[in-house]
Amino acid sequence: MKAYVLGEFDREEPLYAAARALRARGSANLDIHSPYPLHEADEALGLKRSTVPAVALIGGLTGAITGYLLQWYTVGFDWPLNVGGRPPHSAPAFIPVTFELGVLFAALSIFFGLLGGYFGFPRLHHPVFEVEAFRSASIDGLWLSAEVEGGQAEAVAHELRGLGARQVSIVPEATP
Amino acid sequence: MSTAEKTIRELNALEGAPVLVGRPGDRALTDELLEPVLGKTRKGFVLLVLALLGGVGFWTISLLTTLFVGIGAWGNNIPVAWAWDITNFVWWIGIGHAGTLISAILLLFQQKWRTSINRFAEAMTLFAVAMAGVYPLIHLGRPWFFWWLFPYPSTLSVWPNFKSALPWDVFAISTYATVSFLFWYLGLIPDLATVRDAAKSRARRIVYGILSFGWRGSARHWRHYRIGYLLLAGLSTPLVLSVHTIVSFDFAISQLPGWHTTIFPPYFVAGAIFSGFAMVLTLMIPARRLLGYQRVVTERHLDNMAKVMLATGLMVTYGYMMEWFMAWYSGSPLEAFAFLNRLLGPYRPIFLTQMFCNVVAPQILWIPAMRRNEVVLFVVSILVNIGMWTERFVIIAVSLSRDFVPSSWGMYYPTWVDMGLYFGSICVFLLLFVLFLRFLPSIPLFEVKELRRELEHRGPGGTYPGSEES
Repeated sequence: MKAYVLGEFDREEPLYAAARALRARGSANLDIHSPYPLHEADEALGLKRSTVPAVALIGGLTGAITGYLLQWYTVGFDWPLNVGGRPPHSAPAFIPVTFELGVLFAALSIFFGLLGGYFGFPRLHHPVFEVEAFRSASIDGLWLSAEVEGGQAEAVAHELRGLGARQVSIVPEATP
Repeated sequence: MSTAEKTIRELNALEGAPVLVGRPGDRALTDELLEPVLGKTRKGFVLLVLALLGGVGFWTISLLTTLFVGIGAWGNNIPVAWAWDITNFVWWIGIGHAGTLISAILLLFQQKWRTSINRFAEAMTLFAVAMAGVYPLIHLGRPWFFWWLFPYPSTLSVWPNFKSALPWDVFAISTYATVSFLFWYLGLIPDLATVRDAAKSRARRIVYGILSFGWRGSARHWRHYRIGYLLLAGLSTPLVLSVHTIVSFDFAISQLPGWHTTIFPPYFVAGAIFSGFAMVLTLMIPARRLLGYQRVVTERHLDNMAKVMLATGLMVTYGYMMEWFMAWYSGSPLEAFAFLNRLLGPYRPIFLTQMFCNVVAPQILWIPAMRRNEVVLFVVSILVNIGMWTERFVIIAVSLSRDFVPSSWGMYYPTWVDMGLYFGSICVFLLLFVLFLRFLPSIPLFEVKELRRELEHRGPGGTYPGSEES
């Protein structure tokens, strides 16, 4: 049985210190919630570089190749079109559509990759939303959440208070 | 402001007006900027929506007339087969470009003043592109066969001709509309979560909860989000330049005097940004007063937008000069005639309006006080909007009306259907925009909070790492 321990902090420094302290114990699955991106949070949580650029590159190349092959197949191979005596397969004329489809596929793979792949959205319910005060996480609050074994919840909550959390809540029986 | 403070401010000419007035807390900022969304419905809003619905009705009637009667309901003829419809199309698409410029290109250049106006400009882009998309579709004559434009395996065995600029247009415009929407929506997600959390009513919490997909501000999400957002900006930057370039190819790769010129791609892109900034100013100047956004949209923003408008206006002027130079230098009598016809022919008043609005009017923005004067800026922005519309009309319809053989010349006059499709589309655009201001957070909250944090972390005399002057 898992439980979530949530602590709200007033300032950034104690938040990062608490994240580092809990991470050093290695017992919890930690996360930081804030209304805007905090660059230092990645370091405090020990997060690695994002792999989104690779997804975008693969998407973009797929789009560009699709675009070129589409044009080559349709007007260059399947039904060769003679327009003004130019060769059916004329690469310079295929550049605009190749570029547009590359951008389109890259953008779609970033958007849906982020939402569906990296974020696991749509996910309208999450244990952290059980705490009414957590609403401040998108307004002005800085929150630390720890997913722990049910038995350890009280101990972690106590530790968070000691590390300077303004308020601490426990969400029992979290269903992941 | 005391006299001493005033003097110091005047002395420090490089600092200028701030991008954010005061340093309110995050909650105060949220409450202030969400007031238009979460506050009570104002009487003025209802009246404005009703008034715009009248224009939407005019637009709908014109659209239905076009569908049931056909293109004959317009003033188009042979030789002027492209007239108001394509003029409107290019005008709206051009307006859309400022949104992407502000949100993507200025993001890459780390211009802080883009922060509070980018959402606003992106929404303008979306609605402008939506308006633009209507014209080529209805100009098909049988718009219910619009899918013939796409390459699909039909029983006719024939594919679109990819060596023509028109299928390029199909791909460019549809990609631009899609990517603009994704960029806009990705930016909205954290703010929709803020509306969900700040809202008191259950219905709002549910609706905005669904729209935000369950965003919880997680650092594990933010790190991917930041990179993804930046990459989308990076992709949008060449995209926006490609779109108007491809639109200009529709003209430039034909042989018509007045269209057949290599200056078109850069000159169209500059004109697009010029008209787009004019439209942002037209919308922003009243909106910041009515919605109380003066704290986040300051004199500094107006000043900077006016500067961009002035700069792109000069590029457009250079484009005009180059066109006239090439008309003479090419040695082609047809080319020279096309330009003399603009100045001396039957459409002379429209050409002179274009020159006044696009070349003369923006010059007042050289004076700093004028760039911060809302009335002057508003008037100039309206003039530029008019000027850029007349520019497209002069290029498209006037060039077509007198091309090669005098026996095939012909004049173009718009019908009421043409006017309904144009003036009606402005009302549809404004209606969409007013609804956006009422129901969605039009100032990007999370970015403004981030900006405030950055500005605050700059100690006295020192700068925050990675940030220049505010």
